[in-house]
Amino acid sequence: MRALWENPLLQYHLLGATRHRWKRQPWLYWAATLGTGLMYLLALQTAVNYRPGIDAALWFSLFVMCLAAPLMAYNLFSLEYEKQTWESLALTRLTAPEIFWGKWGAALARVAVLTLLLAPFLFLSGVGNWYATTAAFVVLFGWGALLASLGVWLSFKLKRTLTTASALYAGQVFVLLLFPMLYLILGEGTLPRELISTVQSYKDAYYTWIICVFNGALIIYINPFYVALEMEHMRWWADWWWMRGDEYTYRSGLRYMLWGFTQGVLYLGLAALFAGFTYRGVKISWRK
Amino acid sequence: MLDVQGLRKEYGELVAVRDIYFQLHPGDVFGFIGPNGAGKTTTIKMLATLLEPTAGTATLNGIDIVRHPEEVRPLLGYMPDFFGLYEGITVTEYLEFFAAAYRIPKSQRAAIIENVLELTDLTVKKDAYVETLSRGMQQRLCLAKSLVHDPILLLLDEPASGLDPRARIEIKELIRELGAMGKIVLVSSHILPELADFCNKIGIIEKGELLVWGAVDEIIVQLQASRVLEIRLLGEPEPLIQRLERESHVHGVEARDGSLYVHFAGGLEEQADLLAALIRDGFRIAAFREESLDLEDVFMQITRGEVS
Repeated sequence: MRALWENPLLQYHLLGATRHRWKRQPWLYWAATLGTGLMYLLALQTAVNYRPGIDAALWFSLFVMCLAAPLMAYNLFSLEYEKQTWESLALTRLTAPEIFWGKWGAALARVAVLTLLLAPFLFLSGVGNWYATTAAFVVLFGWGALLASLGVWLSFKLKRTLTTASALYAGQVFVLLLFPMLYLILGEGTLPRELISTVQSYKDAYYTWIICVFNGALIIYINPFYVALEMEHMRWWADWWWMRGDEYTYRSGLRYMLWGFTQGVLYLGLAALFAGFTYRGVKISWRK
Repeated sequence: MLDVQGLRKEYGELVAVRDIYFQLHPGDVFGFIGPNGAGKTTTIKMLATLLEPTAGTATLNGIDIVRHPEEVRPLLGYMPDFFGLYEGITVTEYLEFFAAAYRIPKSQRAAIIENVLELTDLTVKKDAYVETLSRGMQQRLCLAKSLVHDPILLLLDEPASGLDPRARIEIKELIRELGAMGKIVLVSSHILPELADFCNKIGIIEKGELLVWGAVDEIIVQLQASRVLEIRLLGEPEPLIQRLERESHVHGVEARDGSLYVHFAGGLEEQADLLAALIRDGFRIAAFREESLDLEDVFMQITRGEVS
């Protein structure tokens, strides 16, 4: 727990530098805060008035997360190298877990704050459908955590701020846009939906997830924007007998696949993996 | 005590540091001299536990720096040649950050920071933002940061580089003071006059090899196998030159700028005998002195101007 609460590095990243930027350029920061705040309230008011579907709310939230999350992590280690402060830091009595938590914890805390700010949009859109709302929340935070974690690791590995930022944004373009486009081109423009319709039990879902790794559908299934798109099918949880049909089969397929939760957990798993790489890197490279 | 035992660093085929040995005691201010690329920074980084040596080791107060870097780190303060500071915080906050990182109890931090600020003459700047300090003050702040945990060994890599003359003098004074406080100070530089003033020991490194190390005076004596005597004579020099050339310890005589420069291989006894004999022979000698070597002469005699 010491690594978390009594960590000067975490305190510096979360409070130290930020506090003084406000003091030194108050007009700039107040103007930026006011502008962002107004835009936020406007978006919130629109959400209240028009009650967009959970897919639209999650799309919007993910778009914000894709833009903002890299900025929360991209320079945490690279600035230490660029400004030549890492040696002084490495020689202190801070342990590898403390240094890791100081950086990764700061990035994750920022992502958590952003997720909380975006949460009202998800809750407003998903009223009455706790499954979809919670799944959307997990997907949003998971994706943010993955970006932040990857950002911290790349920042450590690449040692250059600009390179890290470029890699993070370019990587997203590839994963979220180009790879799915390639899949669609090769798959003659059809989304891999049939696979979901065939799932009628948790066992089926388990095998479907394994199959999609090999047939390439995973590229589509783990795309958070596609996750959001399918989330709309889960708006109505009721499965009355008169509703049974193709749509019911498809919805239950999504349900058995734990749609949203599985992807969210996968993102968090990958985030943990990159966090592990970073921790190991600090331990070895900094001889901690 | 710092005991360096055969420290070696290889990068593939390149040997950056070649089996270095030396020992330093509390209060020693050790000038680590060498041209750029000689291996000074690599040696310092190995001593600072930032680089793992290929072979050899060093102990600080008996603790092995290779096997127990975590135990050695609290005992050393390191100031790199190129350094940066965390921006957006004040001088006091910067030092508080490092005090916390060195696990100094909260109750003691304020007093320690005050002392360190006083020692480095930064008290007036304690509320200034780090990035607003001049280069010299940032250098002193970096040194202050290296002192908050009261280390016994200070590794200062080119501490005066890029400083104006006043800041150089101030940093020299500070290093002298740290030596007087009983700390082992290892300070590297390639500017000799910088070190000549305040180091009691020096080591000259070239191409990764420590060519010589020890007390400054001892090294000079070692190198003065053939000393140069300057004789200023009233009257014609020719008879004196002929007289000197008959002396067995004299290897050569040059006349320039109104003086004679005698390359003399004897010791102090022979030197005194020679002076007495010349006066006895009726030469009117106005000045007779040994031309002493300084650190620059030592450096030029030992090194060949090669880098590893």
